[in-house]
Amino acid sequence: MVLGGVSIASSVFVFLDGGNFQLVQIRAAGLVVALVLGVLAVVAGWFQEATLILAAGAGFLLAAAVQLVLLAGGGGGFLGGNASAFSLWLGLGVGLIVIGAVPRPETSEETFPALN
Amino acid sequence: MAGTDYTAVSDDATRTVPLQPSRMDGAVIAVVRLGVGLLWMQNVGWKTPPGFGRGDLPTGLYHSVSYAVSHEVFHPYAWLVDRLVLPNFAFFGWMVLLVEASLGAFLLIGLATRFWAVVGAAQTVVIMLSVLNAPHEWFWSYVLMLLVHMTLFATAAGRYAGLDGLLRPGWQQSPSWSARWLVRAS
Repeated sequence: MVLGGVSIASSVFVFLDGGNFQLVQIRAAGLVVALVLGVLAVVAGWFQEATLILAAGAGFLLAAAVQLVLLAGGGGGFLGGNASAFSLWLGLGVGLIVIGAVPRPETSEETFPALN
Repeated sequence: MAGTDYTAVSDDATRTVPLQPSRMDGAVIAVVRLGVGLLWMQNVGWKTPPGFGRGDLPTGLYHSVSYAVSHEVFHPYAWLVDRLVLPNFAFFGWMVLLVEASLGAFLLIGLATRFWAVVGAAQTVVIMLSVLNAPHEWFWSYVLMLLVHMTLFATAAGRYAGLDGLLRPGWQQSPSWSARWLVRAS
């Protein structure tokens, strides 16, 4: 759900036109990717449906790969992003695939971990 | 420290007493990790294939890397850039793009964070060797960049609101080599 929320939140970058706070370039069809796959990831997380989580992750990885191919051709193409969009979608894709594919125990180490 | 929920975990009063991180500490560490990840994402945004700025009037990454030769920081590195990197710049440009994009991606989600913190520190050193003596560069920014990656490593920052914290218990119970590597990398 959080990773889907990050994707939806990234759509705010469409309203920025350069400058110091343009951390990620989301434009054109890239906005559709951010919103549609973001909502899919949120829904998949809400229902804890591994297949949907994997589908959302695969979607982000596909978008990242397409963006990279478009960049190799010399521009953002129909997705309108740059290497920052590739980086964001790579992270979201890998994260969702890992979450969807790896079985995990009930407990979490998030609080007060031992550094070892 | 009065007024906090820090807890001493050592009974030996003569030794330095390590502190258990509070929830606020964990949140701050997570914010630092996310912030560094987003900065790498922004930083990879101006790496533009296929030429990466190579041309009659160099721009972008090619121009930046060429400072290693024109404003030398460390002679052996300048020699390497001049003889190996610049003549084969398409390959090295792609390597920079992929490494920095991966830094942004993995620091954002907090996966194998200690490994990527080391990669980030190494990439920072490479950048320092290229541009430290270039015009209008601020020495502190690169030192701070190096120190923040050391901090991400030392705090195992992916264990706070990151996938490392969520998945590490499972990796610790798995005998596979990949799980053992992830335990060390997280």
